[in-house]
Amino acid sequence: MTSVSYDIELNGVYKSYPLGKSRIPIFEDLTMTIPDGDFLAIMGPSGSGKSTILNLIGGIDTVVRGHVSIGGSMLDKMSTRALTRWRSEVIGFVFQFYNLMPMLSAAQNVELPLLLTDLSAAERRERVHTILDIVGLADRHDHLPSLLSGGQQQRVGIARAIASDPRILLCDEPTGDLDRKSADEILELLQLLNTKLGKTIIMVTHDESSTRVAKRTVILDKGRFVSEEIAQCA
Amino acid sequence: MLGFIRQSIALSGANLRSLPRRAWISLSMVLSVTLVVLVLLGFLAMANGFRKTLSATGSEDVALVLSRGAFSEALSRIGTQQGHLIEEAPGIARTNEGAPLISRELVVPVDAVAQDGGKNETLSLRGISANGLALRPGLQISAGRMMTPGTAEIVIGARLAARYEDLNLGDTISFGRSQWTVVGHFTAGGSVFESELLADAGLVQAQFNRPNQIQSLRVRLEDPAAFDRFSAYVDGLDLGLLAQSEKAFYAAQASDISRIILFLGWPLAIVMAIGAAVGAMTTMYSSVSDRMVEIATVRALGFSRSAAFVATLVEALTLTLIGCAIGVALAWVGLDGWSASTKSGANAQLAFQLALSWPQALSAVVLALGIGALGGGLPALRATRVPLRAAMSGRA
Repeated sequence: MTSVSYDIELNGVYKSYPLGKSRIPIFEDLTMTIPDGDFLAIMGPSGSGKSTILNLIGGIDTVVRGHVSIGGSMLDKMSTRALTRWRSEVIGFVFQFYNLMPMLSAAQNVELPLLLTDLSAAERRERVHTILDIVGLADRHDHLPSLLSGGQQQRVGIARAIASDPRILLCDEPTGDLDRKSADEILELLQLLNTKLGKTIIMVTHDESSTRVAKRTVILDKGRFVSEEIAQCA
Repeated sequence: MLGFIRQSIALSGANLRSLPRRAWISLSMVLSVTLVVLVLLGFLAMANGFRKTLSATGSEDVALVLSRGAFSEALSRIGTQQGHLIEEAPGIARTNEGAPLISRELVVPVDAVAQDGGKNETLSLRGISANGLALRPGLQISAGRMMTPGTAEIVIGARLAARYEDLNLGDTISFGRSQWTVVGHFTAGGSVFESELLADAGLVQAQFNRPNQIQSLRVRLEDPAAFDRFSAYVDGLDLGLLAQSEKAFYAAQASDISRIILFLGWPLAIVMAIGAAVGAMTTMYSSVSDRMVEIATVRALGFSRSAAFVATLVEALTLTLIGCAIGVALAWVGLDGWSASTKSGANAQLAFQLALSWPQALSAVVLALGIGALGGGLPALRATRVPLRAAMSGRA
């Protein structure tokens, strides 16, 4: 997997959503490239299309026209089954509200994506233990999400996202539900995953201070990029 | 395949563990299935108990002679002269003195007061000949003694004695134009005979103004194989009489009445099951809605649609099976062995015990699985169509 470059390319993407009997266009001709290993922050007002970009890259939404290509795979050409499999191998999701299974322990939540692999139970346990250690939750292995703080739950969410070693992490407002201190810890963790493990990270955020950990920040408005800022030293 | 199984197990486990979040609506689904199972098993136990009671009645080597076309003894009439002709039939067992083992019998309805509720209910008073007891080998006096022929004494089936007033040993009760004294209680292996009162046939004819009237002849045969000869002889007499083996007579009655009970029971249970399935569907739609973000999240992680389908269906089937298990347990504890009664062919009370069996419990399980599959199927399909965008937008 590491030998393939997972550049992300959106070419001439047209995307619209139904609103009553008509359709509202989100993107009319969106083209962008996100190189492998990038840490891109996307900002913009509500309805500008930030989350739609994540959905399209993550293969959980489809374009009306145009193409989304990742590492040479054309997402719009894949069957639902192939796309599901591809997503489990290439993409990790980090959600604003963590989206943990409330009845499963931290370890069981992290193990979920590993159930899609060929790893044995012992190998899965070992992997879960290692990952929870990486995110600083080795001592919260058996805790239910309700017994963890917001920051800890988001760490479990990140651990789940990286459990199957995906190349790309899609983070939708990962610090949006956290206090400043917890948010900073999460951002540092994401930066670590980008710099040390080479994960491509695309983070949608409303919080300008969160963009300091990103290598690039783009601002989206009404489906168009209105500015781009490249960090001096990320 | 292994991945699919792992996914299904993981999602099913997560679903089941989240049930406390939907405790009340899940409980209502469980209870509705319990109710359906209880109603179904009630009818099945009734039919089975009735069949068991009647099938425990009668012997292969006893022939019952009735008027041709008479469905029950109450509709049969046999003349005295016809009775004499039957005595000459081949294959009849005889006493040491050479007398044929035949009992001339008639059944008359009498009223007794039920201890539970004090209502008058109709019982069967059977007049039998002196040989009548010899034709009922399973009959045993459980308390008191046998009646003395020619006297106004009666013996009572043990099942009736506990349920009606004035049927204790030594009690005197008015039937017809005279007073009868209860001198004994008997058991008869759980057969129909336990629902009867036995008295001397001659006295019953006299007291109920039915001189020389006989409804049935019970005949002890030399052996079961002698029935064909006996039956052929009765047919040959051309008296409008029909011989049947006692066993076959009660088996036919059991079959007819069980069929009627099942004819009422199954449709009622199925109508209730449809109602329960609709309730289950509501519950499961609510479950899918409750887990929308969770389902979308695991689907976004790469879990298959099929696993989401299976997990929802497993939840539905688990709830219905829990309801079924409770229903079967309650039915077994509350219904199995419960005494009931119904009207016999003579419009008299016929006591029997409800009886459950494993095949009936299996029927209930199949019905419950049907409710689960029907109620869970569409919501399970809905689970496969949860938009993955829901993972991005909702709180878990």
